[in-house]
Amino acid sequence: MPLHTPFFRRRSFRYRSTRVTSEGLQFLIFTLAIGIAAINTGNNLFYLPLAMMLSLILISGIVAEYCLRRLEFHRHLPDFIVANQPATATLVVKNRKSSLPSFSLAVFDASDGRDLDRGATVHHLPADASRLVSYPFLARRRGKLHFEGVRVATEFPFGLFMKKAFYAVEGTVVVGPEITPLNENILQGLVSAGQEQSLHRRGQGTDLYNLRVYHAGDDSRSIHWPTTARTSQLMVRETEAEEQRRATIRLSTIAPLSHDAVFEQAVSLSASLVQHLVHQGYLIRLIVGASRSIFGHGEPHLYDLLRMLALCERRAPNGKIDGNEGLEADHAEADGGTEIVVQSWSGPSELQPNRLTVLINGQPISGGFYGV
Amino acid sequence: MAFDQALRLTSILLAAVSFVGLTLGSGLPAWLALVTGGGLIIALVRQVATGASAHPARQIWFTPAGWNFLVVIGFLGFWVDMFLVSGELLPAGIHFLMILMVIKLFNLTQRRDYLHLYAISLVAILASGSLTTDLWYLPVFLLYLVAGVWTLILFQITKAPEGPSASPTGAPLGRVTPQLFWLANGLALACFVMTVAIFFLIPRLSTGFYQKGFGDNIRTSGFSETVNLGAIGPIKRDPSVVMRVELARQAPHVLDRLYVRGLAFDQYDGKSWTNRLGHRRNLNEESPGTFLVRGHQGTADARLGDVIQQNILLEPLDTAVLFAAPFVERLSGKFPAVHSDATGSVYLPFPSASRIEYSVVSRSQPVLPVDLGSAPPQYGESFAGHFLQVPDLSQRISGLSEDLTRSRPSSYEKALAIQEFLTRNYRYSLDAPLAGLDRPLEEFLFHRKTGYCEHYATAMVIMLRTVGIPARLVTGFLATEWNEYGNYYVVRQQDAHAWVEVHLPHSGWIVMDPTPPSSEPARSEHPAWLALGRIIDSAKLQWSRFFVQYSAADQIAVVQELKAGGKSVGYKAFDSMTSIFGPLTRLLGVMPDQIFRGSNRSQMAMLGVIVTVGILLLWLGRKKAMSGIRLTRKSTGEEQIIVGLYKQMVTRLADRGISKTPSTTPMELVHIAGMQWAESNSAVASITELYCRARFGGMVLTDEELQRAKDRLRQLTALEKP
Repeated sequence: MPLHTPFFRRRSFRYRSTRVTSEGLQFLIFTLAIGIAAINTGNNLFYLPLAMMLSLILISGIVAEYCLRRLEFHRHLPDFIVANQPATATLVVKNRKSSLPSFSLAVFDASDGRDLDRGATVHHLPADASRLVSYPFLARRRGKLHFEGVRVATEFPFGLFMKKAFYAVEGTVVVGPEITPLNENILQGLVSAGQEQSLHRRGQGTDLYNLRVYHAGDDSRSIHWPTTARTSQLMVRETEAEEQRRATIRLSTIAPLSHDAVFEQAVSLSASLVQHLVHQGYLIRLIVGASRSIFGHGEPHLYDLLRMLALCERRAPNGKIDGNEGLEADHAEADGGTEIVVQSWSGPSELQPNRLTVLINGQPISGGFYGV
Repeated sequence: MAFDQALRLTSILLAAVSFVGLTLGSGLPAWLALVTGGGLIIALVRQVATGASAHPARQIWFTPAGWNFLVVIGFLGFWVDMFLVSGELLPAGIHFLMILMVIKLFNLTQRRDYLHLYAISLVAILASGSLTTDLWYLPVFLLYLVAGVWTLILFQITKAPEGPSASPTGAPLGRVTPQLFWLANGLALACFVMTVAIFFLIPRLSTGFYQKGFGDNIRTSGFSETVNLGAIGPIKRDPSVVMRVELARQAPHVLDRLYVRGLAFDQYDGKSWTNRLGHRRNLNEESPGTFLVRGHQGTADARLGDVIQQNILLEPLDTAVLFAAPFVERLSGKFPAVHSDATGSVYLPFPSASRIEYSVVSRSQPVLPVDLGSAPPQYGESFAGHFLQVPDLSQRISGLSEDLTRSRPSSYEKALAIQEFLTRNYRYSLDAPLAGLDRPLEEFLFHRKTGYCEHYATAMVIMLRTVGIPARLVTGFLATEWNEYGNYYVVRQQDAHAWVEVHLPHSGWIVMDPTPPSSEPARSEHPAWLALGRIIDSAKLQWSRFFVQYSAADQIAVVQELKAGGKSVGYKAFDSMTSIFGPLTRLLGVMPDQIFRGSNRSQMAMLGVIVTVGILLLWLGRKKAMSGIRLTRKSTGEEQIIVGLYKQMVTRLADRGISKTPSTTPMELVHIAGMQWAESNSAVASITELYCRARFGGMVLTDEELQRAKDRLRQLTALEKP
């Protein structure tokens, strides 16, 4: 919009809009027909219904304006959501008018210049009262989902026009990558890598480590009764010490523009791996491009990692940095546990273009990476 | 009442109002009115009886195909009606419309059916507007407006949201609350006010001199070229209003009766009167719309008579005569032309098919002193041929006239003597059938001695002519019914009258009336009913003037007034408002007199009404006050609740020795409580967070959050117990 446009025009242009409903269109046609009849006949008793219909149109605009005025919105968004998984947002609508209620309010999320209909409606909002509206929403892409505001619409009182008003209620939610089930090849690779990593030594745990003869001072609860019965001497059960397994997931962010979709698949696969391994009790570290996390476990750490993946961005290769070089440089890092590398681009000499590459401890995993 | 039930009810009422409009406008034959009225009553009873739970579709006797078949039958009936029965498009269309309305009333299943019903009712109310201009259209229109506003609001509220938010059940959303009730009625009121404003502001492009006629003209008699003696009698019992006459300058008490002149007759053949001077000529326009009546009625100085300015609203009559007080000097109205004859009667070119309004300036003829002592002069042959003509009469009439006037020297005194004789010695009665007799005048004068105005006037004219005094019979109306609420005379058919104009040498034509007052008992209606009748009549006049006849000329006049200056417009607006609301204010003004003059019974009835209205107002006021209090509480309720909970929490902490000094912030208190009483930490932190959000953050707490704060306080209280 040009800068010389008056302020009030810019304001009204942005904050108010009106659309004729189908019933309103029929009403306007009737009004026009009655107007023609009134002018044609000069009968004042035709002018009276014509005046009534015109006044209904005027009152529609005035009442709708009052319905949309002096509303207050507070949006409560979750801290973190996952792409393509429904989430719930809540919106508190308050009518700040001292005496006039608002009716038939339909609330839309305004995001990226579009009005997103969430099906949130408030049928009656008395003066100085508030309503809590919850509605599900679905983010299609990872990243930051920004809401510019709320657009509220009403067809009250007569359903002839839909008037909309915009309220600036900014809100942002981080959308994590889509979590998908992992396929069998990756799961097998992870199991193999986990077995190699196991350390067998006595300690507090649940898995059986050894059976030996009972010594004085041993906990009587550790007596292994089936073996005692078979050997006719008291035998106790020793358990294997539980050592937490470690894994490092590396996601290369270097990929040309043509590999954008593959890069997103790589991010999604990384997120799925992170979630899987955290649930398996692994200590996880995530390296995304140049940024890296510490080893950690549990839900808070999981969300930290998913947030990293949500906000990571693809970098175009500039010729100086070779993605493989960067990854191999980190590969030698000690005590990293299982090393999982996810690549969306293998370099200019890529053999299988537009295919993800997954390496577990340096061994490539073949096949598609998404389960059913 | 649930929204969907209320919608069905208001939709039926909307249709019912438009049906009433058509029925009152005589737009429906009896059988169709019965069918449609019956259908509406059945639909209404079903609606009231079944309640919200029963869907009307369950009780429908036909399938949709059956209804469609009925519509097709109705459509065929429309063509048959148009070509064979009614013979016109409008009546046939209206009949078909009512058939469609009945079908829709029993087939209200989908939202589009409601829309169809609304469209039908709108066309019906338009059709009723084309059939009438009566005052009843106003209340019907108002009811239609209120029902329409209600229906549109409910139709909108029950509309299921489109798209993803659509309710899967399409279920009704709630009930009609008192708040919605008042809101809808308030919107209807606002709509009415705006409708009136727009009605007056819409530019009128049509400037037709005559509007289309509505129905038949009022049949009257006595205003044609030839009038049989006794022709006025039959209409003397008809109370239909034929005109209303406003007087511009005279105070109403000055004129207790007003002669409204129609035609004058010069020739009497013994049974009927004829106007041989009825040749009409066009009147010249003094200015656009103002016609000057030439020809003086006498030789007297015109400035001696009293000027009577009248504004006349004439109903459509079957005569072209324009009535006015004698004698017309100037006439203004939206007429293409006005005619006049040699007797001073004024005519339109043809009878008007619609109500017309015109202004007249008349001047009465006083009797000059010079005429009191002079003997009748010799008149010219032509003049005498017209106004001294007598039919072949018995000598008894001449003898009687001679006897009565022998001792009187002047024409005027002779005329007075004859007038006095007739007034004193004869009795007024409408039951005097003289029409069939050979010599009705002799029968009246010498045998029956009873009659009504025509007989008296005829007798006086003939008696005057037999003694050489020129006279003529005049028919018109004698207005005596003054409407104090609208400041005008109401003239009815029963006010039709005949009187005499006597020519004096110097004064010209003067009005004389030999008819005695009626001895028949007056209408014995209660004064309150009479007053109500006058109020309604006044409202009819205002309705006609401000709505039915409002035109482009009125708008131009308003614009010109605005150009001329705001003050006069203000005064005119005030006058208009006064004239519109005048009847009501005057009624309120005279009510105390009526009450205190009335019987104990009427006083008690009035007192009862006042007490009932007072109690109702008090009750409404109490309800409003209570709702206001509730609203006030609600307005700060959320914040007050959380502040109260926070104070209770501080008291509990103080009981445990954790006191809050004035300088301690809420968050510091949380920290101190966590250090000193770890178990309380979550409850204190939660309540404090909500308190800070509401108290300082200006956030709106939801009911769930308030409930959570209460739960936390209960937890804290439970922790206290050992």
